[in-house]
Amino acid sequence: MTAVSQETSGTTQALPVCVQQVTIRDFRNIERAEVEVPAAGVVLSGLNGHGKTNVLEALHYGHALRSLRGVRDQELVRFGQEAFHLAFTATGGAVDSLGIGVARTGRRKRLVSDGVEVTRLGDAFAAIPSVVVSPRDVVLVAGTPQDRRRYLDLLLAATSRRYLSALQRYRAALVRRNAVLRDQSRAADAAAQAAVWEPALAETGATLWAERVRWVDWAARVTADRCAEMGEPQRFAMRLQSSMRDLTGTEAELHIALAGALERERQSDLRRGMTQHGPHRDDLLLMLAGKMARSFGSGGQQRTIALALRLVEAATLREHRGHDPILLLDDPFAELDRERSARILALVAQHGRGQRFLAIPRDDEVPSGFGDLTRWRIEGGVIRGA
Amino acid sequence: MSAIDDLAGELAKLPGIGRKTALRLTYHLLKQPPERSRKLAHALEVLRDRVHPCGVCGNLTEDPECAICRDPRRDRTVICTVEEAADIGAIERAGEFRGLYHVLGGRISPLDGVGPEHLTVRELEARVSAGGVSEVIVATNPSVEGEATALYLQQSLVRLGVRVSRIARGLPVGGDLEYADGGTIAQALSARREMI
Ligand SMILES: [Zn+2]
Repeated sequence: MTAVSQETSGTTQALPVCVQQVTIRDFRNIERAEVEVPAAGVVLSGLNGHGKTNVLEALHYGHALRSLRGVRDQELVRFGQEAFHLAFTATGGAVDSLGIGVARTGRRKRLVSDGVEVTRLGDAFAAIPSVVVSPRDVVLVAGTPQDRRRYLDLLLAATSRRYLSALQRYRAALVRRNAVLRDQSRAADAAAQAAVWEPALAETGATLWAERVRWVDWAARVTADRCAEMGEPQRFAMRLQSSMRDLTGTEAELHIALAGALERERQSDLRRGMTQHGPHRDDLLLMLAGKMARSFGSGGQQRTIALALRLVEAATLREHRGHDPILLLDDPFAELDRERSARILALVAQHGRGQRFLAIPRDDEVPSGFGDLTRWRIEGGVIRGA
Repeated sequence: MSAIDDLAGELAKLPGIGRKTALRLTYHLLKQPPERSRKLAHALEVLRDRVHPCGVCGNLTEDPECAICRDPRRDRTVICTVEEAADIGAIERAGEFRGLYHVLGGRISPLDGVGPEHLTVRELEARVSAGGVSEVIVATNPSVEGEATALYLQQSLVRLGVRVSRIARGLPVGGDLEYADGGTIAQALSARREMI
C-alpha cells in the first residue's frame, strides 16, 4: 500500500462508487429482487427479521465475497433452494459488473466480473467497495484481538494486492507449521519439518507488519479526530501491539527479526504446539486517555470508537481506490440518544459521501439528513417501492 | 445399485468429472457398439498391469527402468526433482533439460498428514550418495508447500556435498508446473539459483 500521507476528505473530486442495478436470487430470505438503485442511495425500512440486513449483506458481498456475519456461503442459500445468485452493475468500482453464484453442494463460488470468469478469488476481492456500519461493530472495541485483526486484514487486503497475497501465503504457511508443531513434535526431524515454513512466514509476516504499522501511524490521528468530532472528550490513541517488542524497522529488518524469532522459539513452539511469534498474534490497542477502551470504555464510548473506525475504513478505501465506497448503514442509531445520533449523522454526511443505504425498522424514523433519499420497504424478503 | 449407477459413480471420482458428466459418459458408452466398452475396459486393465514407477526415478514406465534413465545420452550428473510424474512430461516438452529426474510422489503437506517420510526423499538421498551427481535441481511447484518441500530437500541434500538449486520463480505463484508452457519452464530452469 502506498503511504497515506494526509487525509483528503473534503478535497477528493472523484465520483463515488455507485451501484446501479442489483439482482438477488435465493439469498437468505430473499427469493428474487431486481432493483435499480438511485445514485444517492436508498432508505430501506422493514421490521427486524424481514430481511433489511440481508439486502445490505448481499451488497457487501460484492466487496467481501463472503457473509458479513461470518456464516458459511452454503448457509446463505435460501431455505430449500440449491444456490444463490447475486449480480451488480456499478460505476467507480474495480469492475462494471459482477456476478456471483454459490451452490449449496458446490465447493467454491463462481465469480464473473465484466463477463469474464474469475479463477482466483483475490482478483475480485473488494471489486465493488463498501463499508458496513452497524451496532455490531462494537466488537471491534469490546471483542477479541481476532476481531480487530480481521478488521485490519479485510481493510488492508482491500487496499493492497501485496497485502492480500502476503496474507494468503502467511496463513497457508502458519496453519502448516502449526500442524507440524501439533502432530509431528515427536518426529526425529520435527525441528527441520517446522523450519521449512519459516522463510515464507518471515517474508510475508514482515509485509503484513510493515503495512499494518504504516496504516496505524496514519489512522490513529484520523480516528482520534473522528472521536473528538463525535463529542468524545477523552483523547483517543491507537497502536499496534505485537509479539515483537519493536516494529519500527524497515520491512527488510522486520523480515530478519521475524526469521530470527521463529528460529529462536522453535523448540519452545514445539513444546507448546503453536507458533508464538508473528502478526497472527497482533492486537490493535484502542485507548481513551491512556486506558484500554475494551475494558474501561463505556458502552457509548465503545460505539463512538467503533463508528470512527468504520469512517476511517471508508477514508482508507477512498484514499487507495480513488472513490468513496458505498456506505451500508445497518440501523446505526439503534440504542443511541438523539444528540449522539445527530452528531454521527453530521459526520457521516461530512466524511462518507458515497452512495448510502440506510436500513432502519420504521420509515417514520428517517433521520433528517436522509429525508431526500428514495424509500424502499422490505417485508418477508420482498422489496417494495423499488 | 444398478450397473449404470456403478459406472457413473466410478467416473465421477475422476478429477474434473461431475455427476452429470459421469452419467452422460455412461449413456454414451451404452449407445456405442459393445466392442467400444470392451476395448476401454481392456485398456484400463492393461494400463494397471503394465505401467508402474521406474525403479530408479519414479517416472511412469512399462519397463523396470524408464526410457529417460536408460538413455545413454542423458546427463547423469544432474537430477531434476519434481512432485509428480506428470511434471516430467511438461519439462520434457520444453526440451531444455538433458539430465535425469526424481519423482517425489507429492509434496510436504502437514494438513493432509504428508510428511517427508511419505515422499521419496530417502531414495533421492541414496541416489546422490551413490556418487556421480553434482547438482540437484528442485522443480517443486511455487506454492507454499512446494517451497517448503524445496527447502527440506535442500537441507537434507546439502549435507551430502551436492549443489542444490531451485528453479526460478518465473511460474505464477500457486501455478502448477504441469500446466505451464514450455517457454516458461525453459526460462525457469535456465534462471535457476543455488539454494543456500
Ligand atoms: Zn527413470
